[in-house]
Amino acid sequence: MKVDYTTEAPVIQERLSLAQIQELVAKPLDTKPDKKFFIALTISGSLLLFGAVLLAITFYKGIGLWGNNEPVGWGFPIINFVFWVGIGHAGTLISAILFLLRQKWRTGIARFAEAMTIFAVMCAGIFPIIHLGRPWLAGYLVPYPNQHGMWVNFTSPLVWDVFAVSTYFTVSLIFWYTGLIPDFATLRDRTASKIKKSIYSIFSLGWRHSNRHWQHYEKAYVLLAGFATPLVLSVHTIVSFDFAVAILPGWHSTIFPPYFVAGAIFSGFAMVVTVLIFVRKIFDLQSIITLNHLEKMNKVIIATSLMVGYSYAMEFFIAWYSGVPEEQFVFINRAFGPYAWAYWTMVSCNVLFPQLFWFRKIRRSVPAMLAIVILVNVGMWFERFVIVVTSLHRDFLPSSWGMFIPTIYDIGILLGSFGLFFTLVILFTKSLPVISISEIKAVAEGAQPSYHGGVNHE
Amino acid sequence: MSQTEVTYQKKELPAKLNKIGLILLAVGVALGVLGFFVDHTRAIFNYLLAYTFLISIGVGALFLVTLEYVTNADWSVPFRRIVEIFAGIIPFLAILVIPLLFNMHDLFHWSQKEVLATDKVLAGKAPYLNVPFFIIRVFGFIGIWFLFYFFLFRNSLKQDKTGNQNLTTINIRISAIFIPVFAITLSLTATDWLMSIEPHWFSTIFGVYYFSGTVIAALAAVTLAVVLLREHGYFDKRITNDHLYSLGALMFAFVNFWGYIAFSQFMLIWYADLPEETSWFIQRWAGNWAIFSILLIIIQFLVPYIALLSQPSKMNPKRLKFVAIWLLFAHLYDLFWIVIPSMPGMEKGYIFSWIDFVFPIAIVGVVILIFNMLAKRVNLMPIGDPKIKRGLDFHL
Amino acid sequence: MNNGRKIFGVSALFNKPDDIINAAKIVAGKGYTEWDVNTPYPVHGMDDAMKIKPSKLGFVTLFFGLCGTAFALLLMWYTLSVDYPLVIGGKPFFALPAFIPVTFELTVLFATISTIIAMLIFFFGLPRNNHPLHNTDYMKKVSLDHFGIVIEAADPKFDEYKINELLKSLNPVSTAVIYEKEKVRYPIFEPKFITFLILIAVVVSFGTYLTLNKLMYITPFSWMDEQEKITPQSKSEFFSDERGMRLPVEGTVARGFIPYPFMGVEIPDKYLSNPFIPTEENLTLGKKKFLTFCSPCHGNFGNGDGRLRGQFPNPPSLHSTRIRNFEDGRIYHVMTNGKNVMPSYASQITRDERWAIVNYVRVLQRAENASDSDIEKIQ
Repeated sequence: MKVDYTTEAPVIQERLSLAQIQELVAKPLDTKPDKKFFIALTISGSLLLFGAVLLAITFYKGIGLWGNNEPVGWGFPIINFVFWVGIGHAGTLISAILFLLRQKWRTGIARFAEAMTIFAVMCAGIFPIIHLGRPWLAGYLVPYPNQHGMWVNFTSPLVWDVFAVSTYFTVSLIFWYTGLIPDFATLRDRTASKIKKSIYSIFSLGWRHSNRHWQHYEKAYVLLAGFATPLVLSVHTIVSFDFAVAILPGWHSTIFPPYFVAGAIFSGFAMVVTVLIFVRKIFDLQSIITLNHLEKMNKVIIATSLMVGYSYAMEFFIAWYSGVPEEQFVFINRAFGPYAWAYWTMVSCNVLFPQLFWFRKIRRSVPAMLAIVILVNVGMWFERFVIVVTSLHRDFLPSSWGMFIPTIYDIGILLGSFGLFFTLVILFTKSLPVISISEIKAVAEGAQPSYHGGVNHE
Repeated sequence: MSQTEVTYQKKELPAKLNKIGLILLAVGVALGVLGFFVDHTRAIFNYLLAYTFLISIGVGALFLVTLEYVTNADWSVPFRRIVEIFAGIIPFLAILVIPLLFNMHDLFHWSQKEVLATDKVLAGKAPYLNVPFFIIRVFGFIGIWFLFYFFLFRNSLKQDKTGNQNLTTINIRISAIFIPVFAITLSLTATDWLMSIEPHWFSTIFGVYYFSGTVIAALAAVTLAVVLLREHGYFDKRITNDHLYSLGALMFAFVNFWGYIAFSQFMLIWYADLPEETSWFIQRWAGNWAIFSILLIIIQFLVPYIALLSQPSKMNPKRLKFVAIWLLFAHLYDLFWIVIPSMPGMEKGYIFSWIDFVFPIAIVGVVILIFNMLAKRVNLMPIGDPKIKRGLDFHL
Repeated sequence: MNNGRKIFGVSALFNKPDDIINAAKIVAGKGYTEWDVNTPYPVHGMDDAMKIKPSKLGFVTLFFGLCGTAFALLLMWYTLSVDYPLVIGGKPFFALPAFIPVTFELTVLFATISTIIAMLIFFFGLPRNNHPLHNTDYMKKVSLDHFGIVIEAADPKFDEYKINELLKSLNPVSTAVIYEKEKVRYPIFEPKFITFLILIAVVVSFGTYLTLNKLMYITPFSWMDEQEKITPQSKSEFFSDERGMRLPVEGTVARGFIPYPFMGVEIPDKYLSNPFIPTEENLTLGKKKFLTFCSPCHGNFGNGDGRLRGQFPNPPSLHSTRIRNFEDGRIYHVMTNGKNVMPSYASQITRDERWAIVNYVRVLQRAENASDSDIEKIQ
C-alpha cells in the first residue's frame, strides 16, 4: 500500500462543484419517494405498531406481563434504555468531539449522526418511564413545588438520569437545529414550491449567510461543541452511576464511567455505520460519504472495542485482586454460570470480531463491515443484558437467587423501539438534507482561499 | 496550497544546560543520599514518587508520539522530535529502578513473608504480588516500552536523512500495536508501583487515573520545552501560536479528563461506602491530609482549568509556559498525594520533612541531562517527515 | 429603474473565494462601516479581511453557565438541606459530590440555551424574513455557490456611483443595486384575520377547558381503586340492612385483649390474685404509673392529699386499716371498675401496670407503718 503523506486526502471524492454538491444532497427532498422507500417504511412501521400494541396491553394490564421479577427487578427496560442512550452517543461524538479535533471528514456524516442521536434518545427516554409502572406519574421526577410539600432526591442517580437525558436531548436538538439553519436558508432560496418556501423560510429564521453572522455562528458552534463534549461523557457516566453507586458486586466498579462511555461510542458508531451503508447507496452519496469515511469510523470502532475489552479484563483482574469473595463469585458466575452464553456472546461480538478491522481489506469491504457492525450492536445489547441480569440473578442471599426469562412483551417492545428508530430515520432522509450542505461545501476542493495556509497569516 | 521549503537550521543548545543539569542532579543525589541515612523509609517513598514521575514523562511522551501516528495528525509533526526526546527517558528507567528494588520491603507490605502468614487477603494476592514476578514485570515492561521507543525513534531519525514515506507507514503500524500494549502495561505499572503500596485497597479505574496524569505530565513537559525552544529560535520560524493552541487545548482536555476520572473514582467509593474501598480515601482525609486533598483539586484541576479556559489563553506562550510548569508540579503533587499518605507514620497526618523537597531537584536534573544528551545528537525537528510541511502550514 | 424605492445597498457577486477576500480587504481599507459579505459557508480568513472584532459570545455563555451552576446548587441546597432535610444513605444533607452531576447538567443546559437564544435574537436580530436581501437574485446566488458583498446605504460614506465603480474594479461576476422592500400593510380589521383570531380563541379555550376539566381528571388505570371488596361506607347487596360496615359477631374478642368479667361486681377478691412479684423493676413501673394517674387525687404518698383536694369529694387515704386489709385483687378491682366518683382506669392503664401499682401501694403502706424493728433489720 502506497500512501502519500505530504498532502491531505480530499474529503470529497471526484471533483464536484459547489452546485453539484448541493444538488446531490438536496435532490431527495424534491423527488417523490419510490417503492423501496415505502417498503422500508412499511417494515419499520409494522415493527413500531407491533411494539405500540404490546405497550398498550402492558399499560392496560400492568408490567407484570414482563419478565421482570425478584431478584431481577431491572429487566429489559433498563437494558434497552442503556442500549439506546449508548447508540445516541456517536452522533454527539461526531458532531462535537471530532469537530474540536478538527477532523474534516466528520462533515459528511455529522448531520446524519446527530439526527440518529436525537431519535435514539427518544427511544431511550421511553423505557425508564414505562418501567415506572404508572408512567403518568413521571412528573414526580421533576423538582417543582407541589402539594405534597416534597422534593425529589437529588442524591439519587435515577434523578441524575432525568437531568442528564433531558439536558442531552435538549442540547442535541439545539445543536442539530443550529446546524440546520443555514441549510434551511439554502433550501429556501433553491425551491420553486411556494409552500415549501414558506416552511423553509420559517425554519431558516431569515438567515442571510452574512459573514457578520457566520463569525458568531462559528464561535457558537465551538462553544456548543465544547459543552456537548463533556455533556456526552457525563450522560453515559451518569447512566453508569445508576449501577456503580450500588454495592452490588458486578455493578459497583470504579471503572464504570469511562467503560460505559467507550461502550456507548462503540455501539453508536456501529449503528451509524450500519445505517450509513444503506443511505450512501440508496441516495447515491458515495462520493460524499466515501469508503474513507467508513474506514475511519471502523478505526474508531476498533479503538473503542479495545477500550471495552480493556475494561472487561480490568474488571476481571481487579475482582480477583480485590480478594472479595462476592466480587470473585460474580465474575466466575458471569463466565461459567447460567448466563455464560450471554457473556460469551458479548465478549466475542464486542472484542473478538471487531479485531478483524485490523486488516485494511476488511475495513474497506462493505459486506464484511456490515456483518461486523451488526454483531457489535448485538454484542453491546448483550453487554447491558449481562450487567443487569447476571449481577441481579445471583445476589448476596442464595435463598433469593432466581432466573430472568423475557416474555413476548419484553421482546415486542424492544422490537417496537427499533421500529420507532428506523421509522424516524427513514422519514428524516426524505424531509431534511442528510448532509450539512454548508459544511460540506466548505471542505470541497477550492472552496477556501488559496492564500490561507501561507506565511502571511498571524 | 502553497508550500514553502522547511527552513530549519540546527542550532546548538547552550553549553550551560549540561552544567545546570549536572549541578541539579548532584545536589539532588547528595541530599537524597543524606536523606536516606537520616530517614530511610521517607527517602525511599520519595524516591518512588520521583521514579513514577519519570515513568509518567517518558512513557507518556511515547504515547503522544504513537497517538500522532495513529491519528495521522499534522499540526504536531514539527514538535514530534521533542516528544521523542522525552521518551528517551525510558531506557534510563531500568537503571533508576534499582534502588527501589533493593528496598522493596520498606515500600510494600506484601513483600514481607511474615505478613502473608497472618493476612489471608494478601496471601490470596500472592500469585500476582510476589517479588520475583514483580521484578519480571518491572523489567519486562521497561523492555517492551524500550523496544517500541527504539524502533519508532530509529525510523524517525532515518527519515530525517532519506525522507522515505514508507517509514511513516511502518511507524503507524508500530504505533497501532503499541497503544493496546501501552494500556495494559501502564495500568499494571500503576497497580504495581502505586496501588500495591496499600495492598488491600483496589480500584478498577486506577490505571486510567494514572494514565490521565501521565499524559498531562508528558504534554506539559513537551509544551514547556517547545515554548522555550521556540522563544530562543531553535525551530522553524513558521511555528505560530496556532500550533501552540493545539498543545494548550490538549492540556486543557486532559486536565478535564483527569478531573472526570478522579471525580468518578472518588464519587463511587464515597457513595457506596464499602469499608474495603473507603480506607484509601479515609487515610487521605485524616488530620491535615484533608487540606492536601482539597489542595489537590485546586492544584490539579481548578487552577489549570481557569488558566486555560479562554481561547486566547491557550495560544499565549507566556501563559502556556506558566501552565506547563504548574501542571508538571501538579502531577508531582498528585503522585505525592498518592504515595506519601500510605507511608508508615503518616496515619494521623502529614509530618513535615525536608526530604520531600530533595528528589524533585534530582528529577529536573535528570530530565535536563537526558534531554540535552539526546538533543545534541539529533535535529530538533523531524525534517524528513512527509507531513512536516503540512504541519508547518497548519492554521486554526 | 428606481421606481421611487429607497436603495438598500449596492452589491457585487464573485465566484472565487480569493476574490471575495480581496474585495473585503479593499472595502474594509476604504473605511466603510455598514457593509457585509455573504457567503454560502464561512470562508477562512474572512474575519481578518473584514477587520471585525472577535465574537463576544463567549461571555454570554460563561455568565449564563455560572447562573446555571448557582441555580442548581441553590435549588439542591434549599430543597434537601433546608425545606425537606432527609438523611439518605448516611450522607450529609448537603452532599456535594452527589450534587455534582445535576449541577453540571444544569450548567450545560443554561449555557447552551442562552448562547443560542442570545446569538439568534440579540446578536442577529432573527427571525427576520423581510430583510431587503431576501428574495433577490443576489441572495439566491450566495445561497448556492457565489460570494457576495453589499455596501449599505446606511453607511455615512455611501455614494451609489462611487461604490459601483469601486466594486466593478474588483473584477466581479456582476453588480446590482438592491432596493428596500415595499412595506406591505396588514390591516388588522380584515375579515380573514379576524376570523383567524376567533378560530384561535375558540381552539385555545376549548383546549384549555378540556385539559383543565376533563383530561386532568382522567385516572388512566385504577385497578387499586376498583376492587371487588366492599369498602367502608359502601352499600352491600348481601345483607338485608344493606350496610357495608358490619359489627363484629357477638362474643368476638380482639386479638391480645383479655376480657375482665367482674365489671360492676362488688368484691371479686377471691378470683383475682396478683401475678407479679414486687421486683425493683416492677415497683419502678408501679411508681411511675401511680405518680401519673393516682397521685393527682390520692397524693404522692397515698395520704389522700392530692393536688385536686377540695374540688371533688375527697378521696380516702390509702393507709387506713380498712384499705390495708384489702386483698390485692380488691385494689386492682377498684382501679379497673372504679368506685364512687373514681372512674375506671382500665382504658388508660394496662393490666400489668395496674398490678404494678398495687405492688407500689403495698410498698407505700408498708413504709407509712414502719416500726423501729425495721430499722434494726436494715442495719
